[in-house]
Amino acid sequence: MTATIRTSSALRDFLDGKDEFEVEAGHTVRETLLSLNIKPELIALVIVAGEQRSKDYVIQEKDEVKVMAIIGGG
Amino acid sequence: MNGYGGKILRVNLTTGKIAKEQTPVDIARDFIGGRGFGAYFLYKEVPQGADPLGPENKLIVSSGPMSGLMIPGAGKCDFTTKSPLTGGYASASMGGHFTAEMKYAGLDSIILEGISSKPVYLFIDNDRVELRDASEFWGQGTIAVEKQFKEKFGEDFQIAVIGPGGENVVSYACINHDFGRQAGRGGVGAVMGVKKVKAIVIHGTKSIPVADSQAYRNAGKALYKACKDASFLEEWTRYGTTVVTSWCDEVGALPTRNFSAGSFEDGKNLYGPVMREKIVITDKGCFGCPSPCGKYSRSKKYGSYVEGPEYETIGLLGSNLGISDIEAVAQANLLADDAGIDTISAGNAIGWAMECYEKGIFTKDDTDGLDLKFGNIEATFELIGKISRKEGFGAFLAEGVKKASQKIGKGTEKFAIHVKGMEQSAYATHNATAMLLAYMTCDVGAHHNRSWAITYDIQVGRDLVVPEKVARVIWLQNFRPMFDVLGGCRLQWVELGIDRDLYITALDAITGIHRDWNDYEKVGERIWNLTRMFWARENDGFSRSWDLPAPRFYEEAPESGATKGQITKIEDVHRLLDMYYEQRGWSNDGLPTSERLAELNLSELVA
Amino acid sequence: MRLYVDNAKCSGCNACRVACSLNLFDESNPKKSALLVLPHFPSPGVYEVKVCTQCGECAAVCPDEAIKLNAKGAWYVDFDQCSLCEACVPECPEDVMFVKVELATAAWKCDLCGDCVDVCGTSALWISEKENAVA
Repeated sequence: MTATIRTSSALRDFLDGKDEFEVEAGHTVRETLLSLNIKPELIALVIVAGEQRSKDYVIQEKDEVKVMAIIGGG
Repeated sequence: MNGYGGKILRVNLTTGKIAKEQTPVDIARDFIGGRGFGAYFLYKEVPQGADPLGPENKLIVSSGPMSGLMIPGAGKCDFTTKSPLTGGYASASMGGHFTAEMKYAGLDSIILEGISSKPVYLFIDNDRVELRDASEFWGQGTIAVEKQFKEKFGEDFQIAVIGPGGENVVSYACINHDFGRQAGRGGVGAVMGVKKVKAIVIHGTKSIPVADSQAYRNAGKALYKACKDASFLEEWTRYGTTVVTSWCDEVGALPTRNFSAGSFEDGKNLYGPVMREKIVITDKGCFGCPSPCGKYSRSKKYGSYVEGPEYETIGLLGSNLGISDIEAVAQANLLADDAGIDTISAGNAIGWAMECYEKGIFTKDDTDGLDLKFGNIEATFELIGKISRKEGFGAFLAEGVKKASQKIGKGTEKFAIHVKGMEQSAYATHNATAMLLAYMTCDVGAHHNRSWAITYDIQVGRDLVVPEKVARVIWLQNFRPMFDVLGGCRLQWVELGIDRDLYITALDAITGIHRDWNDYEKVGERIWNLTRMFWARENDGFSRSWDLPAPRFYEEAPESGATKGQITKIEDVHRLLDMYYEQRGWSNDGLPTSERLAELNLSELVA
Repeated sequence: MRLYVDNAKCSGCNACRVACSLNLFDESNPKKSALLVLPHFPSPGVYEVKVCTQCGECAAVCPDEAIKLNAKGAWYVDFDQCSLCEACVPECPEDVMFVKVELATAAWKCDLCGDCVDVCGTSALWISEKENAVA
């Protein structure tokens, strides 16, 4: 049961150059981020199928989860 | 000159003389444009000791090589002057369409000199340049005046206008444009107001020359494609900078009740999705922008239209004042825009006043009867008006939080949240050492635009004080403002994460001069050191003490929120500065060494 | 085929107009573009974009037969044939037929190059089949 996490490309600096990860479904966004060594605190926005979700959303099979970090600020 | 308008327009408001000169090739080579031109002309032409509100100060308005071309975000205009708020360097970046129109009128900079005896507006239509009587507009708000000029001259004319705030020379008065964009900070509107220039009205029909048209067109298209392919384009466009609000609340960066905390218990009502649903009607953007951050809104509760509020205003006129109603923040935003005062400085100053009131340092006798408790929306609306009219208690706050707290004393300086007299913008920095350093060392005072480093703080460790953090801040300070120098917006690179080398290809084709990012960053360093020398020249004893943050950030840990109990140590503040000065090639007192100045070809200019 | 626009998506950026002037004249100058972006501010706070619908009314009245069909099946002005008589301008139902003698020595209009679509970040513009063909 897999899903995909896509991060904002600016996070690549912190993630060894990657911005797309295949992950196991069935865990929360928060848990999944931790398993990828991404601090959940870095993430400002979680989008699944165009809708905003919290970091406690449980990732379903085939979900494409976009997680956006704020690199620049207003 | 390829990529440039070609001329500098000088307007002497004392004599009425209007003159144009060729944009100097060597200045374009060394300072590029935009904020670079501003820094150069400021240092060179405003004499040491000039009164910011006197005839010797100048307001330098500059476009850049990107402006008006087919490049994403090609819509930023720089306003530089000696600041009446800080006594140092002020540079404010204004979006919209004004900068593009300058290029179409064949201009790179407009320099306002002297002081007019009567209210005027500067009228520019291609080569026709006139100072016209503005007495019928004097006293009116910015929105009504822009509307009248658009009706009179047509939508193709671009307008930069001051409100009563600028006319009354409020220290943080701003300049407005396009019904919602501002040259916000440092009192650029006050300088325009003391010079009695109500507006600049501009129109041009010239084409902008480029060196290699085919290469530029290909490069421009490649840049737009990269933006359109960016994974988060839709989300960024949907929320603009309000995407940050919820995150700041979560990580303790949302200024709450005069920066006493970084999280707001009622913050959820201010978040981006809530705002979008309640009031947003149009995604409004600047010239050439594929990712419009402007959220044009309509409040049913107040029956008003406003571009905003964006994150800064949500922070400073919302959570910082204990206000959780997004429609009230939108209305406060509108009142400030129409009056022509900076929402950031105003919100910060009002937050300070509210804390003083709640502590009993001010009573209703001092505040003209206003019950200045945190959360009082009506009092906030009234106070914005009073500040812009310099009426009663408003006159006192119109001086800015540094001078106001120095006048009152009673320990209020400890929670006057500013650096160098510039009110801190909307990131609480109790425990985020890179961002704290960014605010301490920003070249205009406590503003976030040069180096935004909170995510970096969280990634590597909030309280860490290491050379890498300092290096990061310096790199951001050299690199991010290059967009201001180029007359464009950094947010496509910053937020959409597009490859910055795409800009190199475009700029090479536009200017005909090859520069890589090292070359541009060197220009960034040059400007950074020049404006540091300006601060030193204009302020006796300018040194390390001017770089210190508000005492709140090393003395008072928040009692609630994500950063509860967290604070920076004063020893770490100094360690950060030690490393910063060393890496910048400055003395331990924070002044550029003569070697550094020589390396940057500044020795002659600052002699 | 013709250009379409969704006004609700337009942010007023004008990138389309620079792309257009580059296509028609190889110049960066929105005043020489063939579409209009009309701001309605401060109220109701929206942008209105006028684009050529390829209705052909301009071509029908041109006494010089200067308005022709290109390979895409779109009407364009042959600059060499245009006599600047301006008969076409009032015929255009969208006000996107342009004659400005101080800027160009011929009338100009949209030739459906599609560059505006490429640079529109909000996808407000697109090209598609005409819903109703005009005879």
